[in-house]
Amino acid sequence: MDIDRLFKKRKDSSFNFYNVDLFSANDEELQAISNEMGLALALAEMQRTKEYFQKKNRLPTYIELQALGQAWSEHCCYKSSKVPLKKYIYGIKEDKIIAREDAGIVEFDKDHYYCAALESHNHPSAVEPYGGAATGVGGIVRDIVCMGGRPIAYVDPLFFGLLDYPFDKLPKGVKHPRFLFKGVVDGIRDYGNRIGVPTLSGQVYFHEGYTGNCLVNVGCIGIMKKEEMIHSRAKAPGNIYIYVGGKTGRDGIHGVTFASAELTDDSEESSRSAVQVGDPITKEPVIHCTLECNRKGLLEGLKDFGGGGLSCVCGELAYDAGFGAEIHLDKVPLKEEGLAPWEIWISESQERMMFLVAPENVKKVLHICKQWDVTAVEIGKVIDEQITRVFFKGEKILELDLDFFTGGPVYDCSIRPYTILDAKKLEQKEKMFDQPDLNNVLKNLLASPNIASKEWVIRQYDHEVQGNTVIKPLQGKLDYESHGDATVIKPLEDSFKGLAVTANINPRFMERDQYWGACSAIDETCRNLVAVGAKPDSLCDCLNFGNPEKPEKMGEFYEACRGLGDAARVLNLPFMSGNVSFYNESVKTAVPPTPEIMGIGLVEDIRKCVTSDFKKTDNPIYLVGKETEKEMGGSEYYSIMNTDGGIVPKTDIKLLKNCMEGILSVIEKEFIASCHDVSEGGIGVCISEMAIGGNIGANINLSKINKDLRSDFKLFSESNTRWIIEVKKDKVKEFEKILDSFKTPYVKIGQTKKANLLIKDNDCKIIDQKINTLLDVWKNAIWNIMG
Amino acid sequence: MKLEDVKVAVLRIEGTNCEQESYDAFKRLGAYPEFVHLKQLLGIDCNKDEKRDVFGFQCLMIPGGFSAGDYIRGGAIFAARIKSKLQKSLESFVKQEYPILGVCNGFQVLIELGLLPGIDTVMSDVPQACLNINDSDRFECRPTLLKHENNGKCIFTSKIPNGDVRLIPSAHAEGKLLFPLERQEKILDELEKNDQVVFRYVDPDGNYAGYPWNPNGSPGNIAGICNDLGNVFGLMPHPERTFYRHQHPDWTQSGLDDNVGDGREVFESVLDYICKRF
Repeated sequence: MDIDRLFKKRKDSSFNFYNVDLFSANDEELQAISNEMGLALALAEMQRTKEYFQKKNRLPTYIELQALGQAWSEHCCYKSSKVPLKKYIYGIKEDKIIAREDAGIVEFDKDHYYCAALESHNHPSAVEPYGGAATGVGGIVRDIVCMGGRPIAYVDPLFFGLLDYPFDKLPKGVKHPRFLFKGVVDGIRDYGNRIGVPTLSGQVYFHEGYTGNCLVNVGCIGIMKKEEMIHSRAKAPGNIYIYVGGKTGRDGIHGVTFASAELTDDSEESSRSAVQVGDPITKEPVIHCTLECNRKGLLEGLKDFGGGGLSCVCGELAYDAGFGAEIHLDKVPLKEEGLAPWEIWISESQERMMFLVAPENVKKVLHICKQWDVTAVEIGKVIDEQITRVFFKGEKILELDLDFFTGGPVYDCSIRPYTILDAKKLEQKEKMFDQPDLNNVLKNLLASPNIASKEWVIRQYDHEVQGNTVIKPLQGKLDYESHGDATVIKPLEDSFKGLAVTANINPRFMERDQYWGACSAIDETCRNLVAVGAKPDSLCDCLNFGNPEKPEKMGEFYEACRGLGDAARVLNLPFMSGNVSFYNESVKTAVPPTPEIMGIGLVEDIRKCVTSDFKKTDNPIYLVGKETEKEMGGSEYYSIMNTDGGIVPKTDIKLLKNCMEGILSVIEKEFIASCHDVSEGGIGVCISEMAIGGNIGANINLSKINKDLRSDFKLFSESNTRWIIEVKKDKVKEFEKILDSFKTPYVKIGQTKKANLLIKDNDCKIIDQKINTLLDVWKNAIWNIMG
Repeated sequence: MKLEDVKVAVLRIEGTNCEQESYDAFKRLGAYPEFVHLKQLLGIDCNKDEKRDVFGFQCLMIPGGFSAGDYIRGGAIFAARIKSKLQKSLESFVKQEYPILGVCNGFQVLIELGLLPGIDTVMSDVPQACLNINDSDRFECRPTLLKHENNGKCIFTSKIPNGDVRLIPSAHAEGKLLFPLERQEKILDELEKNDQVVFRYVDPDGNYAGYPWNPNGSPGNIAGICNDLGNVFGLMPHPERTFYRHQHPDWTQSGLDDNVGDGREVFESVLDYICKRF
């Protein structure tokens, strides 16, 4: 189809400037225009645009259509996800949330707020892992800074295909998981370390479903004095737009539309330019001068450049305050000559912030930026009408009513139908098998990449810069450190109050049962926070799913949201910030539904925090929480046994709530020596990690755990709401009394001992291993693959 | 002079990123630290009240980070910018026995400036050593144990008993201290003879050990050295990151006691020196 005739060059213009003749285009041609221009707009949206301009009685300009393509993309306006999010996720304990803009804001103490955000950078990382991941980290920190927050922590959950995936089986255009894993970690390391924000937590998960489309989620947490909070909206007409930071180039054009479509085998060729280029050493001083200007009260509004570039930033800053914007594009500093105006308008080049400044403060702001050698230029002003007007070389090239521009479409289930798959089908496939040698199973589990030590990653990230990391990501005796449940920082100089963070999802649960998988994620997040002595305070979500145009993928999304909402509502935990990433599909398959959950908890006094490593010999060991059930669906045990089926662990949130209160109370009273949540690999892996971290063994007897279960299920079931706790020898009575008072179930299962981990079930010895053997298999597994 | 009058300049440019915790270390002990952007010393782009003079301070601290991105060699650009105008001032600052501390990237800057190793001269025209890429070819963020081996020359460790092992963590990609290869052995001997070796990496038993206890592969396990005058000190590990016990990676094993961290005495020592000397 030839649609060239529909692009009409304006003869009166001093530069290349086109009108697009939507009026004489039929439906087929409208769709072709959307495709040709890379707008990723559906026919209905093109028709709506046509009608708008027909009413205005003029043809749209090329740049106007580009701006709409960005603003109405899935990435920017959440058109497919708004309905289910509203139904399930919003409306939980909203009064706790001070603001929810680029990042969410919640109170930390009487003088401070903390803010947090979590988002995805999946498609860029699948095409260019180093740059994609680096700019992901660079983007999320701006979300914190633009609320007035000083960034204090990074959290990076990552999902890849299997590290030993055969090269010859890789689909065309897909990069090997090992290459992606290394590239992504390198990117996060080189960017995160350079801007001086500690990377504290995250998750690294390997699953065949991520082979064609790895997931890179990035979270950031900030802290601010209450009076330093700033909003992403103008205060008054006449406020000056000051463009601050990196220059604008062709990198990152169509980033959001790229994120709103499936990956294909030529994404490498066609979409490379959609990946931005990160520059931490431009960013680092931008953070300094932005926070300094804000601290001095010189800013009226502040927003970072994210998806959609200038186009989205200028519009949203004005529209959210009921005003409009007048922008002069030729003032924008460029990386290279010759960018077309529409490229400048939608480029997603990195390291840029937009300040809104009262005219009398412009000079002061420019001076501060100059001191940090940060580019800062006036490019326009806020106007009284709700319109965006853009000029280039004196000519008006864009004029859009903001309510039309920002009023992106919302799809309900008539446009985005969904079907919910029956989880029971997978359950029925469970086959019986004889109990294998559990010593071997335990070692295999500890060496499974999803369980094995992530030291290879953790030690490449500076997790101690800023000097506030009081409970580190690796915990325990020197040279024996093992994984902790949550990392804790002490963000304020003159207070012992702490902030704990963790990030979780179990993709194997999720692919089998989205509802209970989502509930399990909330359960595990709370378990992790409570295990260090932190009271869960808020959640962020990053919902990574497949193509929402497919009803079964949309169904997964609905079920996951329902689970997250149901669990969080009982716990009164608000989702302070969130992000939706659809179209995580490639030539091969869709990713497992992956609603990553970042949980933040508060610690009254960090000096009472507890870690997961065993502390002393002859301390009693308890299993606390829910009864262990045969809930093997999606377990690591079934995965290494190459068997499937079984039910995904369910959760009883009311019981979880009791247990949380009980455990927080015994930690507060300093009755316990160590605590670790039971998750992947069950009790067996949990106790092994505690033993490794403290280089102290244990004598365990499983006889008092659910008598109907075979030993292997007792040991490796991943039932929710369970912790292993080492109690101080002389505090046993008080410990039990407190748990009783909080209706928290517990059972004593053994005590810490020197050297060996010995596990019996009744009289039968099932595990007998030296700690050093367990340490070796657990610690070396990923090192051996990655070198 | 009185402790509260001791002014410490915490120097920074773009990419410096350990300035806050370095500032805090001096502040907590009662001194008067100030963030000073290099441009304030050079007199570029600043108002009159923002200009600073090196001699307005009794101590300079160059904190960790990735100054100017460290895309060439760690600290090379920061050092070149300092040298462009401040070479003479710095030289006389050191000759007047004012102390300079460089941690991590700051150590790299001191080497690039020619202030370290400073064996026969206060400040050499070209660098006499380099901090090379770690043997592991990776950024290494890990706890490191440092044995104090200085016999009294280094004014930054006067309060730490000789032979003490301190937990002071490392976080760097370029920390392997190398000298011109043909003279390396000789220089290492000389450093030792001059009492310029301050800290060496050891394992938990106190023995010299290889990776990971020596995180970068430095010959002789050297973690930090001072100049011949003892008033310029550079080290790769971060003493400001174990100012308090609760910053140690294993405090839940050992307990907090009085919450004094292993790195604190580096700052106490230099402030003590300044108060007595000036």
